[in-house]
Amino acid sequence: MGAELFDYHALAPELILGVTLLVVLVADLVLSEERKYLVGVLGIVGLVAAVFPLLTLGFCDRLDFCSGSGVRGMFADGAGNFSYVVDDFALVLKGLFILVGILSLLLSVSYLEGDRYHRGEYYFLMVASVTGAVVMASSRDLITLFIGLELASGPAFLLAGWRKGDVRSNEAALKFFLIGVLSAAVLLFGMSLVYGLTGEVTFAGIAAAAGGLADDAAFALGVIFMLVGFGFKISAVPFHFWAPDTYEGAPTPVAAYISVGSKAAGFVGLMTVCYVALPGVSEIWGPVLWVLAAVTMTLGNLTALRQPNLVRLLAYSSIAHAGFVLVPLASAALGDADLGDGLFGSLTYLIVYAFMNLGAFGAVMAAARKTGSTEVEGLGGLGTYAPGVAAMLGLSFFSLAGIPPLGGWYAKLVMFRAVLAGGGLWGALLAAITALNAVVALFYYARVVKTVYMDPVPRTVDVDQAAEFPLSPSLVLALGLTAAVVLASGFYPQIVGFFGDMGRTLIAVP
Amino acid sequence: MVSLATLAAAIEVGVGVETDPRGFVGVLVHGAWLIPVLPLVAMVLIIAVGKRLPARGWELAEAAMAFVAVYSVALLVANWIDPIAYEQHVELSQIGSVGGAGLVVEWGWVVDGLSILMFTVVGIVGFFVFTYAKGYMEGDERFTFFFSAFCLFAGGMLVLVAAPNLVQFIVGWEMVGVASYLLIGHWWEDHANNAAAIKAFITNKIADIGLIVGVIIAGATVGSFRITNVLDAVEGADSALADVAFWVGLALFIGAMGKSAQMPFHVWLPDAMAGPTPVSSLMHAATMVTAGVYLLGRMMPLYNTAGFADDVKLIIVLVGGFTLFFAGLLALVQDDIKKVLAYSTVSQLGYMTAAMGAGAYTAGLFHLFTHAFFKGLLFLAAGSMIHAVRSNNMSDMGGLRRQMPYTFWTFLIGSLALAGIVPLAGFWSKDEILASLSEDAFGLGAAADLVLVLAIAGAFVTAFYMARAVYLSFFGSYKGKAEPHESPAVMTYPLVGLAAFSVIAGWVNVPGAFTAFTDWLGARAHAALDHHAATLDLGVAAAGTLAALIGIGAGTALFRRDAATQAQRDRLRVPLLYPVLRRKYYFDDLYMHGLVNPIKGPVARAVNWTNDVIIDGVVNGAGALARQLSRLVYAGLDQLGIDRIFNAAAAATGEAGSALRRVQTGKVQQYAGALFAGAVLLVVGFLIFS
Amino acid sequence: MAWFDNGCGLSLIVFLPLVGAGAVLLIPKTREGIIKSAALAFSAASFLLAVAAAVRFDFGASEQFHFGTDLSWIPAIGSRFHIGIDGISLPLLVLSTFITMLAVVYSWNHWPEPRNPKAFLLLVLVLATGMAGTFVALDLVLFFVFFELVLLPMYFMIGIWGDRTRIRLPGFKREVETRLYAAIKFFLFTLFGSAFMLLGFLALFFRADPHTFDMVALAAAGQGGAFGGTFGFWVFFALFLGFAVKVPMWPLHTWLPDAHTAAPTVGSVLLAAVLLKLGSYGFIRISLPILPGQAVQWAPFIAVLAVIAIIYGSLACLAQTDMKRLIAFSSVGHMGFVMLGIATLTEVGINAAVIGMVAHGLITGLLFFLAGSVQHRYHTREMARLGGNQKLLPRLGGILGFTAIASLGLPGLAGFWGEFMALFGSYSPAAGLSLPLFRSAMVVGAVGTVLTAGYMLWMLQRVNLGEPALEWLDKGLVDIDRYELAAWAPLIAAIIAIGVYPKIVFGASTGAVVDLVSKAFGG
Repeated sequence: MGAELFDYHALAPELILGVTLLVVLVADLVLSEERKYLVGVLGIVGLVAAVFPLLTLGFCDRLDFCSGSGVRGMFADGAGNFSYVVDDFALVLKGLFILVGILSLLLSVSYLEGDRYHRGEYYFLMVASVTGAVVMASSRDLITLFIGLELASGPAFLLAGWRKGDVRSNEAALKFFLIGVLSAAVLLFGMSLVYGLTGEVTFAGIAAAAGGLADDAAFALGVIFMLVGFGFKISAVPFHFWAPDTYEGAPTPVAAYISVGSKAAGFVGLMTVCYVALPGVSEIWGPVLWVLAAVTMTLGNLTALRQPNLVRLLAYSSIAHAGFVLVPLASAALGDADLGDGLFGSLTYLIVYAFMNLGAFGAVMAAARKTGSTEVEGLGGLGTYAPGVAAMLGLSFFSLAGIPPLGGWYAKLVMFRAVLAGGGLWGALLAAITALNAVVALFYYARVVKTVYMDPVPRTVDVDQAAEFPLSPSLVLALGLTAAVVLASGFYPQIVGFFGDMGRTLIAVP
Repeated sequence: MVSLATLAAAIEVGVGVETDPRGFVGVLVHGAWLIPVLPLVAMVLIIAVGKRLPARGWELAEAAMAFVAVYSVALLVANWIDPIAYEQHVELSQIGSVGGAGLVVEWGWVVDGLSILMFTVVGIVGFFVFTYAKGYMEGDERFTFFFSAFCLFAGGMLVLVAAPNLVQFIVGWEMVGVASYLLIGHWWEDHANNAAAIKAFITNKIADIGLIVGVIIAGATVGSFRITNVLDAVEGADSALADVAFWVGLALFIGAMGKSAQMPFHVWLPDAMAGPTPVSSLMHAATMVTAGVYLLGRMMPLYNTAGFADDVKLIIVLVGGFTLFFAGLLALVQDDIKKVLAYSTVSQLGYMTAAMGAGAYTAGLFHLFTHAFFKGLLFLAAGSMIHAVRSNNMSDMGGLRRQMPYTFWTFLIGSLALAGIVPLAGFWSKDEILASLSEDAFGLGAAADLVLVLAIAGAFVTAFYMARAVYLSFFGSYKGKAEPHESPAVMTYPLVGLAAFSVIAGWVNVPGAFTAFTDWLGARAHAALDHHAATLDLGVAAAGTLAALIGIGAGTALFRRDAATQAQRDRLRVPLLYPVLRRKYYFDDLYMHGLVNPIKGPVARAVNWTNDVIIDGVVNGAGALARQLSRLVYAGLDQLGIDRIFNAAAAATGEAGSALRRVQTGKVQQYAGALFAGAVLLVVGFLIFS
Repeated sequence: MAWFDNGCGLSLIVFLPLVGAGAVLLIPKTREGIIKSAALAFSAASFLLAVAAAVRFDFGASEQFHFGTDLSWIPAIGSRFHIGIDGISLPLLVLSTFITMLAVVYSWNHWPEPRNPKAFLLLVLVLATGMAGTFVALDLVLFFVFFELVLLPMYFMIGIWGDRTRIRLPGFKREVETRLYAAIKFFLFTLFGSAFMLLGFLALFFRADPHTFDMVALAAAGQGGAFGGTFGFWVFFALFLGFAVKVPMWPLHTWLPDAHTAAPTVGSVLLAAVLLKLGSYGFIRISLPILPGQAVQWAPFIAVLAVIAIIYGSLACLAQTDMKRLIAFSSVGHMGFVMLGIATLTEVGINAAVIGMVAHGLITGLLFFLAGSVQHRYHTREMARLGGNQKLLPRLGGILGFTAIASLGLPGLAGFWGEFMALFGSYSPAAGLSLPLFRSAMVVGAVGTVLTAGYMLWMLQRVNLGEPALEWLDKGLVDIDRYELAAWAPLIAAIIAIGVYPKIVFGASTGAVVDLVSKAFGG
């Protein structure tokens, strides 16, 4: 494993993103208003560029020009515990974040067109947020993790309030910000407790020291508070209240990004902390995650049942999915199954979820552009005059519901798999709860598709005009990409299973 | 009895039934599968091309029946010369195994005295009826389809008769049932006919439960559906079979009761008159109703072997006895001439069943044989009358002997034969049954005596109602509307032909003198246990004949004088008996109001209600519950009743400001509170549970 | 033909329709002729290959899996693309491809509203892949995917082309259109079942050593007694939920009458003919071999439910006024015989189930075709308004009469063998099963046959017989056209052929069933 202080190859993605940030900022200053879209293009180019080093790192052992391989650690402390590690786990997540960023930008370009607000900063902020998430994926100590987290969240706060003139947008941003700050405080409090009791900041160090503190109430308090902090990021019940209002108020692409990107960032934090820093004390966080998972998916699904507004519906659905992603993490901590299955499950679910949820948001955007409404009722008969958008809606919504042959089924499968691998009565119970939730979830997803395909066109919609209404190429591209991934992963799940499998390397670290 | 000797030898050497004749006879028996198959082929052909043929398909049917008649007569002769006991199997498939041994289903055909006899009956009677039907059905809009169904009817019967295994037996049995459904309901524009057809099918289907159960038990116990193997097991005193033999015997008999219209399953037969008369004729003479008796005959050793189903015989003989007498009484009060004949058939089947119950295998089948001819004749003659007067009711007839001489004389011969007057066919067979009952070889004791008495009384009743029928329809003055006339030759020739058989058919088994019939039937495996009276019992014969003569006398006395009204015509309205007879002993009322209507009505509706309201109620209830729950969760829990709380606060602070302000302040506090509450809850929960 | 035997053949049978769906997707909506031809071509190709498989099938070794392959599919979870057919799956595979082809033929000029042949045929083809795939899958995850693959097309088929009459449900205020209610009901029921079925699969995976989703390996392990005790009990229950909903077994059947009644003709046909079989096939292919010990424990329970279904279904039929709904309920009864056969755990019984499935597929499929054509002409399914059809449309009436009589299990036609042998099996069930219970089941089942005859003849009387009502006389109704004839004649031929020569099915199934029983239940 690489031991030098700075492994530039390993840091290449972060560096490229940094450069992109600067370029975007400058470009925004020099470019004239009508050519601002180039800023978005630059951002996308930068993100795409950042993918290549990921590949070279990932397949290093197959490339002759590439030296070193496997796990690359950096910034070791005295005890040789790394603060910043680039392993397959990190690479996969970095890749995921960057792709999510790209797709979100593609969605945004079409969204911001014909929008009188500044665009340059928008791209800058989104790239910055992605960068923060990318950093998180590698951070293996509390401080780096927290910095990454804030770097990922901060811009999101601003993006949520992007539509300054819109009351709801401001409201959304403000809520998001206040709650975010509060949860950050809670998180820091938890971290400080843990640090104080273990005297370590690196996860490896904490892991070594935590053994003796298993039944120390204060330590438990710290751990739980950290979980709460992340619980906010992943919008787990009861820390989810901000989500529906924020999603509804924020620009839809931002909502999409928050529901995928910053949620994933939260999960990265959760995984690294639980599995790397605190694997020894899973009896503390295991039950907590179990409860969070059960409550989150159940309330999320039940609430989503009666949402008349598509974005709010997706918000609650994304809450429910947060519960689903938690399931493997929670169950792996129960019984004596190896944590790898849990990681594998959650990571795979995250990957599939990212694409199908972005697809869903994209489809909703497209539908909203055609029908001029984000209400479920407004979509009546969409299938008759906008078959493409309708198909996309059906695809992503049924994928979210987990119906073969769409990617979602595989996510559900690996989730159940992890639960039962954990085994034990609690595992079985959680599995049963999850199964029932899966059925309930179908109901509201199917309701949307039903409206789209089986209901008459509402009077408010001018069919001809809607049918003619053009969709911007970038939006179509984004939809196409997500659809391709959803279908491909449904028929040949190995393409996501492969990356999900890499997640196991996180705990392969000695 | 050369034949029986050879057969016994054959059985001793253990080749079972496999005597495999060579030469011409060999060709005959090897080709015998054509007998059941050709009519079925004819059926298909008629449906396919019938309409385009000159006689619109009739010729195919007639040809098939002629073939069957000729072929079976040839077999009969061959069997007479040198007894045949041959069967052949075509394996269809193994369907599993019972006790290690493979269980197979097969088609096949058995050629022995019994099956040859039935072939002959079906062939000859069928040939006449098919001929007659051409005239009778002339101008019917479904002429072609009628004959194809007719072929199915005869073909199904032949499949059943030829069956060497019980599965094929069921197949033929049900084919007959379906054909009867199609034919009884031939004029389906009138729902009354459909009702009759359905009634016939369902009644038989209920009895078939017995047949199916019996076959299953036998097959599962013996490990084979071959009748031969089952009867071998009987001969070999197989203990496993002996344990269940009673149930097998009883179940099979229940099946037989259905097809052979034994009380209480007889209700379908009179209604079956709804079909065209040729159908009734064939159904009552040769096919369908004889199937039950044939089944008993086929399985006789099972019933006649001590330790097996011999206890069932008591039931059989009693059912037969009661049926033959009480069904006969019903014939007394019918105005519809076909119903008279129908109940007469039920009664005669009672004789056959009783004979089987007494173990008098030959006697029972002998009566089946003779009855086929004169009952076929009677129906065709009745049909001829109906054709002439356009009505089934004797109250629309009378004095027909002048206009319809052929019909009259043939009908008279048939009636006398049925009444059992020497030397006509009916006498010999009925006498043999009576003799067998009085001989009571199986020691049924009191039961046999009782049935004997009933049978003699039945002879009286038979003669009585036939005399009534003859006088009401052929004597006195004509009361109908239509212009009566003799039927065309195509209808009268069959009458004459059958009349001839009705005269001579009985002579083939004159006890002590000439026992060809016994030899024919003897030629089969497992025939060793026949117990019919081989000698003429003068006392019984006298009693039977006397009863018949008294019956005729009484009939003459009561009905010779013409009478204007039905009331006068039924001169013996015995106070208590008459109403009961008119209501047919209330069987139909019981079945309709006690069974059919409740099931079709309340029960079915209740089930449907359970389905739609209770089970579906649970399903929809679950859905509704989820929706309610979601409303509760969303409004009550998720939104924390924000607006309500805030409005209170706003009112208090007196600054119900802009919506923006309000929402922000209100919700965020709530959210923050929720966040901390959640955190604390988790901690507390954890501290408690760990 | 080595290429055929090493898995390509089966894969083509399964995936050709999917390819066809892709092709149809690319053809512009306006070119209906080409769309129909393409759909027919692909479904026919799939059917012909299935026939080829039947021809090349080694009936001497029908207990082995033929034409199979075992490729890496999802190594991440240890699931493989393992396919193959034995004597049990072969008849069902042929059946499903056969019915699909005929469905396309029938659709040629029968389009439910809103027409849109492109979308309709596309769904039919996707459905075909799901159905065929389920019968060839030998890997639990693969089975699950195909098993679920049929959900979406059927959901859309019912929901979009379904019956638009409005009904009020007990317990709900507003009215809903039948199609919408039926579609979501079908979807939720099946998903509910299959979610637990999936849990059962995974539980088996983790209990097996080494972990595997491979049915053959799992069966071997199960017959070695790997899945006993409480674990096995609950796993069997989970699988039971999945399969019983699909069959459907009483009381999980209530989605069926609604779905069958609301679905468009072709939808009902495919539902009845093939989809129901996925459940019973699952019992034979998965539950019995892998959990034999549990099967013995559950068999009495299943038998009781089956018998209830037989009687209950028949009685419900007697109460129906809607022809299609009556036929739908008759499926409940007929599948009851299939499940009774399975519950006996005997060679004869399971064999009966196999032929019963095929027969029910052919007969009830044809019945739904006919019901569809009746509705197509009279625009009603109310038997009270019909009547005298035999007079107005002699051919249609004749075929209806034939099929109804076939459906009541007339010996000599396909339906007989399944019923008779199921009863035979339940007279002497497998060792360890309660004789009194199963023998009473036999008698009650036999009574069920009477009721079946009752409602079928009653249906005939009300639809076919009697004088036609005046309202139809001047409608100028036309008798069956050549597409209907082309779609039905093969079914009629098959019904007669199997009835007269059941070896068509037994020849394949018996060997496999005997092997299954001897391995799982010690002969």
